[in-house]
Amino acid sequence: PIERARFPLNAPTYDPSYFSMPGSYGSLVELVVKQTEAVQAKAGRYENPEEHPFFPDDLPPLPQVLNSAAVSVNVNKKIWDVYFNKLLPLFVSSGDDGNYASTAARDLECLQVLSRRIHYGKLVVEVKFRDEWKHYEPAIRARDKKTLMDLLTAPAVEKAVKKRVAKKARIFGQEVKVGDDSDENKGKYKLDPAVVSRFYGDWVIPLTKDVEVQYLLHRLD
Amino acid sequence: MSVVMMLTTLFLLASSACKHEMARAEHNNVTLEMVRDSLIRQEDTIVYSLIERARFPLNPPTYDPSYASIPGFSGSLLELFVKQTEAVQAKAGRYDNPEEHPFFPDNLPPSLVPHYKYPEVLHRAAMSININKLIWDMYFNKLLPSFVSPGDDGNYALTAARDLECLQAISRRIHYGKLVAEVKFRDERKDYEPAIRAQDRFTLTNLLTFTNVEEAVKNRVAKKAMTFGQEVKLGDDGDKGKYKVDPAIVSGLYADWVIPLTKEVEIDYLLRRLD
Repeated sequence: PIERARFPLNAPTYDPSYFSMPGSYGSLVELVVKQTEAVQAKAGRYENPEEHPFFPDDLPPLPQVLNSAAVSVNVNKKIWDVYFNKLLPLFVSSGDDGNYASTAARDLECLQVLSRRIHYGKLVVEVKFRDEWKHYEPAIRARDKKTLMDLLTAPAVEKAVKKRVAKKARIFGQEVKVGDDSDENKGKYKLDPAVVSRFYGDWVIPLTKDVEVQYLLHRLD
Repeated sequence: MSVVMMLTTLFLLASSACKHEMARAEHNNVTLEMVRDSLIRQEDTIVYSLIERARFPLNPPTYDPSYASIPGFSGSLLELFVKQTEAVQAKAGRYDNPEEHPFFPDNLPPSLVPHYKYPEVLHRAAMSININKLIWDMYFNKLLPSFVSPGDDGNYALTAARDLECLQAISRRIHYGKLVAEVKFRDERKDYEPAIRAQDRFTLTNLLTFTNVEEAVKNRVAKKAMTFGQEVKLGDDGDKGKYKVDPAIVSGLYADWVIPLTKEVEIDYLLRRLD
């Protein structure tokens, strides 16, 4: 997001009617994402189970290396909606500088990073399951989402995560000047740490838990 | 196409054209300070991109043409990736922006989007200056081996993606020399004109060299590498000295390559400025 925040909103990027051939491609960001994913698929990106395409139907079929539980869990549609409708408007300035292609490329990077992080829940929960499968098994067999969610929720850890990402946003997003460690620049960040922290709390952590629950529900299939 | 859709498209194009006209009028007043601010922000992008590449080991098969074995294509995975990604970005209009330079300019598909009217600040000589070949060689032969760990974790596609980001960030910064030179030329034409007419590279190099500014840049990027490359933990402000990318490498990149190559671009541009 820091690098996306270099550009203003650049609304034409998201406007399907901006193209010379409206209707054929969707918006510019969809064109860039679909076609870039096709290139990355050819290079083998999606053979890595940690990577999830946003438009899997547009890709050639992938080799099945995972159990079906893992493969079927893909919340990218939700991540896409949340990124464009909830997160993006919060951290970019309004305006238009014409750099729609670069804007779309940065959006894709943000989407990919978020997607990887959220789907990492599968790995997290596989480890938890192996450590404590006695606790999870009854709830899985009963398809009891609520209990599973409670088992997966650790408020202290979640709080620490939110604090740490805010700290990272402050550190990585600061203006760095030579010589001057004065307080002139404290408080000026490329990305508001509170936005990042809240985004983790409202979306990243809950979506990761959704992934974890969905994965567990398939785990004994 | 229905009438409504056509009118909507025309309306959107017209309103964005108005905004572009305003942007162009503002941007013709580009100052040295604006250019320097942009260069400073670009340092951050370069540091972040190096940090992200350093997450992966060298991953040699990425660069090995005999590994890729792609029918009809004789390059490495990296080359395939860069060529095809640049093709996608070209279709989306990226290379209409004079600040962006493709690494494989031949055979790029045309842009599918309306041509955005970027501010016309540079002399037309700028268009023929593209030193990406040099930048590519420097990046893969000199820089990359110096800051990534040896090894292979199989993530060749991700590795190629990170390499491309580094290349693009470094390329943009170096080619920004055209804008730097234009602004300096406008500010101090009397000083530059004789040297340009005499095609005197030596004098131009001296005119363009500000040692104290260059020292400040090198110190600042090292500091940024320390700041952005640190491990961040809660509560604990220990762990000083452990960085994702060695600050000396970043500072060296600027000293040995970014600053000199930017000057090359500036000189190449100025030599043609009065054509």
